[in-house]
Amino acid sequence: MNKAMKNPTVFILFVLPAVMLFLMFFIYPIFSSLYFSFTSWNGVAKLDKIKYIGIDNFTKALGQDRFWVAVKNNAYFILFSVFLQVPVIVIFSLLIAHVKKLKGLYKTAIFLPSIMSTAVIGILWGFIYEPDIGLLNKILSFFGIGKIYWLSDNTYAMLSILITNAWQWTGYYIIMVLAAILSIPKELEEAAAIDGATAYQRATRIVLPLITPIISVVVMLSIAGAMKAADIVIVMTNGGPAGSTEVMATYMIRYAITSFKYGYGNSIAVLIFIFTLIVTLIYQLLVARRNERIEY
Amino acid sequence: MVRNLKRGIPHLFLLGYLLVILFPFLFVLFSSVKKDNNAIALHPFGLPKEFVFNNYYEAWVNAKISTYFINSLYISLISALLTILLASMFSFAVTRMRFGRIASVLFGAVLIGMLIPNNAMMLPIYTLVNKLGILNTHLALIIPYIGNAIPFTVIILAEFMRSLPGEIEEAAVMDGLSASGIFAKIVLPLTVPAIVTVFIVNFLSNWNEFLLANYFLSKDTLRTLPVGMVQFRNQYQMNYAQMSAGIVYSVVPVIVIYAFLQEKIIEGVTAGGVKG
Repeated sequence: MNKAMKNPTVFILFVLPAVMLFLMFFIYPIFSSLYFSFTSWNGVAKLDKIKYIGIDNFTKALGQDRFWVAVKNNAYFILFSVFLQVPVIVIFSLLIAHVKKLKGLYKTAIFLPSIMSTAVIGILWGFIYEPDIGLLNKILSFFGIGKIYWLSDNTYAMLSILITNAWQWTGYYIIMVLAAILSIPKELEEAAAIDGATAYQRATRIVLPLITPIISVVVMLSIAGAMKAADIVIVMTNGGPAGSTEVMATYMIRYAITSFKYGYGNSIAVLIFIFTLIVTLIYQLLVARRNERIEY
Repeated sequence: MVRNLKRGIPHLFLLGYLLVILFPFLFVLFSSVKKDNNAIALHPFGLPKEFVFNNYYEAWVNAKISTYFINSLYISLISALLTILLASMFSFAVTRMRFGRIASVLFGAVLIGMLIPNNAMMLPIYTLVNKLGILNTHLALIIPYIGNAIPFTVIILAEFMRSLPGEIEEAAVMDGLSASGIFAKIVLPLTVPAIVTVFIVNFLSNWNEFLLANYFLSKDTLRTLPVGMVQFRNQYQMNYAQMSAGIVYSVVPVIVIYAFLQEKIIEGVTAGGVKG
């Protein structure tokens, strides 16, 4: 046996910095959030002046219309990605897997937006949505559609954000699903082709059932992403017009940092956590339960 | 003929998608060399009649994009490098040293970190940074960036180190190397392929980060590029040509890195799924 690899001093020295950071940025925040969610601390006053107020923050949040607007917008995020984005993701990944030419180009280009800053993409799309000189209204004017104030009209503001978000992330998920499709052994499809299955039949009867586990992962990631969406909203509308595009995370930040209601903000953080858990559980129970890992 | 047509249909859709992705970038690129909003409004789609490169100069110097750019570069680099150092030390201790039980408990704990939604953690991190007295300094970003990246980095590096054959250390121990010697001289060099992957992914996510950067720094000269860009947009709302030049500055480094290392980036970013 070698002694060198059993040296406890080295082990501790090597492990300690990462463990400290982990405690600071993952464990401490959870307990701190929980603790302050039961107080009315403003984030600045001396810590010994903290007042414990029970579940007041939670009842206040749940009784507030603006909070439920934020919850509803998070729900839009989820519904939009599950019912509109996921089908698009599946169709396009099947298409890319199917074509022989230009595969590399499609992959490269489609993935690109997902490695860019959401803030910068928000700015870029703010320009596209600009009513007077923006790209979108210019294109629509060809079809005789008049000026639309995409980001300042509350009928369109949320939709505009969702489209931008989809534009940034769809490609990322397509690449994930594509990787799963390409890992399916060629023989399966070839055998089906010999038996006379058309490309459409092979896609729906063979490939699709085999990639349901990864689609499930995509849905879970979309839910997680939807629940923590914040920067895109801050950059594009800052929650406006009149709070109509506020999401839970921006609502939390607005109270905790901008209006010094730190305790209340933390109760929102706890609610985000709980809601994420609930949505994930519902999804697991309803849909994902029967998915098993497939080995070839 | 029919066969060719059938083969063309998927490409038709895919090229459509490609257009939707790439055209906004072209739109910004073209707008950045136009004179003003009027020039953009008159010819929104194509290249301008006369190229105006002044926007790039104005954005870089007057709008202080240069300052933001350098801040972003240095914060992203330092954080990504320190993350690699600390995470690889941890991964080495946990996967290669002989501390079976403690090691697997520590590793399991860090994995849980991947499940914690980090945006919801922003407020406690804010007070933590405040208590440490580093609010409004670059450390307010560097330390949280390192901390947040630890779980993902450990997962990738530990998996890689675990796959290295055990004989390596045995030989090294025979040669009289200590544990830290084995780490620095043998395991770390062998782990370089995985290190490159996590380094780029962490660098990019630091480069792009907005929330912490927006709320933890209030001094203009400290700002990072995404925050500076938003500030710039709010101030120069009316000058879209100059704003486009700003967007180009922030997007080009990412595209350049991507052009060289796209396989690694795609592999790394999709592996870190939960992070995205």
